[in-house]
Amino acid sequence: MSFQIPIGPQHPALKEPISLRMTVEGEVITDVDIRLGYNHRGMEKLAEEKSWLQNIYLVERICGICSHSHATCYVQGVEKLMELVPPKRGMSIRYLVSELERIHSHLLWLGVAGHEAGFDSFFMYTWRDREVVMDLLEMISGNRVHYAINTIGGVRRDLDAGQIAKIFEGIAVLRKRSEYYFYIGANEPSFVARIAGVGYLSKESVIALCAVGPTARASGWARDVRKEDPYAVYDEIDFEVATADSCDVLGRVVVRVKELLESYKICEQILRNLPAGDIVVKAPRKAKPGEVVSRYEAPRGENIHYIKANGTDKPERLKVRAPTLANYPATVEMLRKGFIADIPLIFAAIDPCICCAERSVTLISARSGEEKIVRFDDLRRRAIARHQNAPVKRNAVWPL
Amino acid sequence: MAVVRTLLYLVVYPGLLFLFVYSTFCEWFDRKLYARLQNRMGPTHTGWFGLLQPIADFVKLLAKEDVVPEAADKRLFNVLPVIGLAVVSTAGLLLPVWNFDLANPGLTSFSGDIIVVLYLLSLPTLILFLAAWSSANPFSTIGGARVLTMLFGYEVPLFLAVLGPAILADSWRLAEIAAFYQAKPLLLLTNLLGFIVAVIAVQAKLERTPFDIPHAETEIVGGTFTEYSGKKLALFRLTFDIELVVSSGLLATVFLGGFPGGAVVGFLHFVIKTLFVIFLLSLLRAMTSRIRVDQVVSFAWKYLAPLAVLQLLVTILLKGLLS
Amino acid sequence: MKIAVFLPELIRHLFKKPATVDYPFKKLAVPANFRGTPYLNPDMCIVCRACERDCPAEAIEISSVNEAEKRFKMIIHNDRCIHCAQCVDSCPTSPKAMQMDSLFEIATDDRHKLKKDWVYVRAVLKPKAAAPAPQAAGPKG
Repeated sequence: MSFQIPIGPQHPALKEPISLRMTVEGEVITDVDIRLGYNHRGMEKLAEEKSWLQNIYLVERICGICSHSHATCYVQGVEKLMELVPPKRGMSIRYLVSELERIHSHLLWLGVAGHEAGFDSFFMYTWRDREVVMDLLEMISGNRVHYAINTIGGVRRDLDAGQIAKIFEGIAVLRKRSEYYFYIGANEPSFVARIAGVGYLSKESVIALCAVGPTARASGWARDVRKEDPYAVYDEIDFEVATADSCDVLGRVVVRVKELLESYKICEQILRNLPAGDIVVKAPRKAKPGEVVSRYEAPRGENIHYIKANGTDKPERLKVRAPTLANYPATVEMLRKGFIADIPLIFAAIDPCICCAERSVTLISARSGEEKIVRFDDLRRRAIARHQNAPVKRNAVWPL
Repeated sequence: MAVVRTLLYLVVYPGLLFLFVYSTFCEWFDRKLYARLQNRMGPTHTGWFGLLQPIADFVKLLAKEDVVPEAADKRLFNVLPVIGLAVVSTAGLLLPVWNFDLANPGLTSFSGDIIVVLYLLSLPTLILFLAAWSSANPFSTIGGARVLTMLFGYEVPLFLAVLGPAILADSWRLAEIAAFYQAKPLLLLTNLLGFIVAVIAVQAKLERTPFDIPHAETEIVGGTFTEYSGKKLALFRLTFDIELVVSSGLLATVFLGGFPGGAVVGFLHFVIKTLFVIFLLSLLRAMTSRIRVDQVVSFAWKYLAPLAVLQLLVTILLKGLLS
Repeated sequence: MKIAVFLPELIRHLFKKPATVDYPFKKLAVPANFRGTPYLNPDMCIVCRACERDCPAEAIEISSVNEAEKRFKMIIHNDRCIHCAQCVDSCPTSPKAMQMDSLFEIATDDRHKLKKDWVYVRAVLKPKAAAPAPQAAGPKG
């Protein structure tokens, strides 16, 4: 008996709206159809109307968990366009907040994975410990989410000795707790029974489908933008790329916890080698014409911003390719041949940040292959006109 | 006077009123314990320490809009919650709290009533499946299929484990089993393995983590309960709470020595022993994560059933030694 | 594969205080540089309009009330504000005219109640050698 189950757009397993229509036979999934666009806000268009400085705050609000990733990726690109080199101290603080954000995101993800698997106690504990990181970020930047610590040419706030001491203490506490979660995640029998062998993605599939981030690294594909294309302070810091070989959700848990432990190491190195000096360089109002591609390793994978400038104080085009968008084709592959009971886990294992990956509708003419982007108002007007002129349907078959 | 007494059993204690108040208290205890295990607060502000929270939830659900889907089988859909409530309340009547006379078996305590209680406690599973089937919703259909699949797993170990002490006590009557173990408390220790198996199997019957796959919130929205709202959902939740009390009452009677001492002392025994069983169930709930339905069945047949059979062998050997 | 690895930790938590803060009956203190809502110190303002230009949410509106006496009005739309504190960074005076306080419990039923306005007199910052004396009396706010 084969029928379609809609997961989404509203579903308790999803934090944001997305539609996954699964064709199932019994408990086994045979096909998946992903539909995006429920959370589309038109940010790329809005970015063309605001100045370079105002866009930092706009881009930051593409996502709540990876807000600093988007802001930093954008600011890196703009600094390259304006040919600015921020001072060392500013860069160190910027990437310290990046690593703290990675810690916060991975702790959040551990909790979400636990909740999707039904392991609510694990969820409560990891989120309680995440409060330590949120308090540190609040102390550094003034807000728990949307840190807004970047500005073009450096950072806005400085660290003093008291704050540095508190960060060291917080990291020590978190390190102990993370090692305990590593132990639990790998040893609690019911949890491991849920996540081992689930969501298999072989290394060849990863390469063919261009998966990024911990999803790819759990299949042994060791790609990390911080190592291949080291930006700013990463070429002076000693850390390792975390990989696992089991190609399943357990591998992804292991990769993320290993990345947590690496992030603690990186934070401590940055803090110990924090150079003295300025934190910001003055930035011009206008950027010279040009285009730039900026890459950044977000907690979810590789984040790419493409920025084009035309000599004015507003960008001409901003395009955001968030890591979750690159992981969607790999998700379809992983969901095939899985069980319905595993859908939330497999989907949560790519750490979906659906609002980062929204796209709008493009109509492609089947005959001529010509593409046309249609505004939503026009689509609505055309649909209403068509309905008014169409005859009444009797015995309509409602798709599920 | 027998009529008045029977009415008192049916309505007040251990009937509907007592079951309602006590099951909401047990739900509060379960939620508060679960929260404290997870380092959070649990119900706090409704009444003293949040004691009125489950009653507040019940009243809130009663006040909500009751929607019946068009494609659902209306008669089944409407009547099933009430049947479920009736079935578990009847099972509650058969627990030997004060409504029995050891010498004269009556309507509330007779030979074979342990089988009747087990049967009545299996009916809610069937009712859940019928509720899922009559809802005409793909999520409910999957939930219903899972409920029945789980039944294949835990039913046999539960029966084997609960009937073990009955074999040692040489009786099928709950009151007599309790009296036997009250006379010889040390024999309770020989049933420890059966107790562990029974606690895990009861957790599966009550559909709590790690066995809450039929109404897994993150996967199939609500499972069997997806289409239920308002009064019917309130009655279903009350059914589950009363099933919790009755199952722990059954385990307390058979494994922990029953409730001696008449109305008042017996009541105290009842409260303490059922709260102990609920403590174990909550601990199990906080400790594990949800496992898939095929894993439930394989776990039940690979581990629970052999352990129950082992306990049965030990009981039979002991019976031979004792006589 | 161990059974009940989680159990000792769970039991230990039965005897600890809950980690939850019973908000709103108990509140946590916010750190020193918390970004709450912006407000103006009219004495320091030189009406350079940098904050109005740099605000990402168009939450600052400066209009002139009386050109002759050089009186300006600033409205801060707290319902549009995203609490980024860019206005504080852009403000060129020292000590700063735009500052952030620590208030965050500003929710209300009507968005129009969240707007705050100031009517003030423009002050001249650095009196140069040949400059006239600072105009007019104290600020009105």
